[in-house]
Amino acid sequence: MSGPASSSPPAVSVHGLERAFKGGIKAVDGLDLEVREGEVYGFLGPNGAGKTTTVRILVTLLKPTAGEARVAGFDVVSQADAVRRNIGVALQEAAIDPLMTGRELLRMQGALHGMKGAQARSRAEELLDRVGLTDAGGRRVGQYSGGMRRRLDLAMALVHRPKVLFLDEPTTGLDPTSRSALWREVRSLNDDGTTVFLTTQYLEEAEQLADRVGIIAGGSLVAEGTPAELKAHVGEPTLHVDLAPESDVAAARVALSAVGPLVDCQDDARVAIRAARGKATVPLAIRALDEAGIAVESVEVESPTLDDVFAAVTGSTLEGATQGASADQAEVPA
Amino acid sequence: MIAGVARESRVVTALGRRALSVQFRRAQLLMPTFVLPLMLLAVIASGTSAGRDLRDFPEVSSYLGFVVAGTLLQGALLSGLTSGMALANDIEGGFFDRLLAAPVRRSSLVFGRLAGTLGLAVLQMAWFLLVALLFGASYPGGVLGALGAAALAVITAVGIGGLAIAIAIRTGSMSLMQSIFPFVFVLLFTAPAFFPRDLLTPTLRDLSAYNPLTYVVEGARGLLQGDASLGDPWIGLAAAVGLAAFATALAVLALRDRARRT
Amino acid sequence: MSTSTDSPAGRSGSRSGGTNSPAGGVAWAFWLRSLNEVTRVRGALIGTSIAPLVFLLGTSGQFGRLVGLPGFPTDSYLSWIIPLCCLQGAGFAGAAAGANLARDIEQGWFDRLLVAPVARPLLVLGPVLGAITRSMVPVTLVLIVGVLIGGEVTGGVLGIVALYVASAGFCTVAAMWAIAIAVHFRTQQAGPLMQMSVFLGVFLSTAYTPQPLLKGWLEDVARVNPVSHILELARQSTVSGIDLSLAHTWPGLVALAALVAVFGALAMIGLRRMGR
Repeated sequence: MSGPASSSPPAVSVHGLERAFKGGIKAVDGLDLEVREGEVYGFLGPNGAGKTTTVRILVTLLKPTAGEARVAGFDVVSQADAVRRNIGVALQEAAIDPLMTGRELLRMQGALHGMKGAQARSRAEELLDRVGLTDAGGRRVGQYSGGMRRRLDLAMALVHRPKVLFLDEPTTGLDPTSRSALWREVRSLNDDGTTVFLTTQYLEEAEQLADRVGIIAGGSLVAEGTPAELKAHVGEPTLHVDLAPESDVAAARVALSAVGPLVDCQDDARVAIRAARGKATVPLAIRALDEAGIAVESVEVESPTLDDVFAAVTGSTLEGATQGASADQAEVPA
Repeated sequence: MIAGVARESRVVTALGRRALSVQFRRAQLLMPTFVLPLMLLAVIASGTSAGRDLRDFPEVSSYLGFVVAGTLLQGALLSGLTSGMALANDIEGGFFDRLLAAPVRRSSLVFGRLAGTLGLAVLQMAWFLLVALLFGASYPGGVLGALGAAALAVITAVGIGGLAIAIAIRTGSMSLMQSIFPFVFVLLFTAPAFFPRDLLTPTLRDLSAYNPLTYVVEGARGLLQGDASLGDPWIGLAAAVGLAAFATALAVLALRDRARRT
Repeated sequence: MSTSTDSPAGRSGSRSGGTNSPAGGVAWAFWLRSLNEVTRVRGALIGTSIAPLVFLLGTSGQFGRLVGLPGFPTDSYLSWIIPLCCLQGAGFAGAAAGANLARDIEQGWFDRLLVAPVARPLLVLGPVLGAITRSMVPVTLVLIVGVLIGGEVTGGVLGIVALYVASAGFCTVAAMWAIAIAVHFRTQQAGPLMQMSVFLGVFLSTAYTPQPLLKGWLEDVARVNPVSHILELARQSTVSGIDLSLAHTWPGLVALAALVAVFGALAMIGLRRMGR
């Protein structure tokens, strides 16, 4: 969604943030980033890149060793109380007391945020309904499935209507159905104006949900922008042509080079070119091959994915990145 | 036949060694086996030492040397129980199923675990006797007496281990094993562990006659003090061996049942 | 569905500030939750209740003849150790609060509490209140069983009050100590350390015999151990030789206040260090 008036302070602003641990290892090293109010910010990074450390600093669980971070306009160190009042947090590996029921947990969360009994009770019912747990609300959380736990976790983070919602890998380990249910909920929250700071290891999740994406590696931000911007930065789409058996590959390369610059291709029966105009390149390529008398078996256009962006800026791939990405990424120039 | 025995004994040794090393890698298991009995020894030996002034208290060279027999007994109870706890942990974690799937005799699994208990108990008893010695205990029964007392306690540890293993195999529950922890003290306190049998309250004195550990602790005391009037070592040995044989049989039966069920 | 109420526009301005949630409601919520540890865990009370009971029966059976020694203020050893076993039960209930907190820290639940706008002392007070409540079970059980098998209530109602004050106070001390350890080590592996110190604290005192009958090093340790004073406070309930009086009361209360102050401060310092 588009950000509201530019006059309001950013939901999250981070300047020169550093966090060194014992032994001098810097998990976060000079991080700068800004999340505008009302946007969904996807925070990506390989394991050990400093993602979790950053989130823990932003939610006041960890103090930075240098730099500054403000959330909802408040300093995470000197105004920690105010930050806590304005954020909702659903941390990875949702730690929920298994002995309590979903309803009790929501009421307790309400009490922690200063709600009176009746208010906390009605808010709990409202949220159970919202995340589809009304029937399960009286059951102990120990008996919940993974998806139900995550939904409850999300509901607990929403009890006090936070301005900024931190979701740390909210769908890791969930089945596809539970995952899309959670995505729908995050979108609907964002439509209501809640800023969402989302860390994920699924690029598809970032593509689906995030207005902007920041990629962290080695403790600092190495790329940032909308998914489309980032992908454009990596390169243009590629057109792959699979030739019919016994076709003249050399002739096909000559014919196609008139349509777009050739791209290296390992497969002998295949030719690839850059396709700056995307799918519109397809008829041009087929006509050129037809005129040269070359038989074609199939044609496809492949756009760069966030995984390509990720590989380009970090030199590594993410776990689970193959989800939703097409099979032969090796041919996409990085 | 001989090859089979050799193979099973290798299995027992390997399982025993593993049981022992796990024991040393988990602080929660070390604390009850090596520290807790000494703490109890310290508070009882110092807190009740005025008891020596009681008229009927037997003549002993050191109160600490008298009370330490109870510590050996407590050590035996705790090392036996932790064997059961470790086994329940293996069952909950799935490791035990892997062992059950291995081509070894069922009884070897029990003997392997008990071998670990035995090794642990040997270390424990040496440790207790040594620490008590450093803190002023005397053993008029000499080295042989101390070795004999330690042996009684080690055999008892195997017996208690057998009982705990039988329970662990039948329930497979770590939390249940932990909750029977207080009953270790029931067995301990219903024997004349720290005071002479004649000085116990009458009810407890009558009750203690039915607790096999009574004869073990009295036998150990007789050996440590070199004074058979404090307890007959042979009766103690009979009680310890009887308990160990009975408990091992129970554990093997429990394992057979479990293997049949699964 | 009520998504419209989730609009940020619906948030009142006053809630954006830095004030913490009201302490009463938060403490109540923590207290309710802590009760689950006993009401919803099967067999949870066995450990904390049976152990002091076994100790009561075992110790009185083993050492009952000690009252025959000159210098013992009562002729009932059972009456002498009922308060001891009450303190023991209360102390272990307190230590359990630390063990539970260490578990909450390990599993990540405590993070959820840390990010709530709750005054930090409440994060310590909650588990302490829960521990005090839970400690009432073993204390009451020991008292009832002790009296049923022959212990005497010599101090009347006020004596019983002194026993409960001493027990609740000692539970608070033990809980704060255990919480200080929990926030420092942040692992359940520290559990034995919490229990061990409570055990030593209780028993390296005038636990088994009165001060004049103690010998050797324990004589000195018990003299400086504040738990001896707390025991004296509690023993006004059942020990005929320790009559109800201010002289037997105030040293125990002072000891409790001092220990709560010291361990409470340690726990708070540890808590503040958690984010560093």
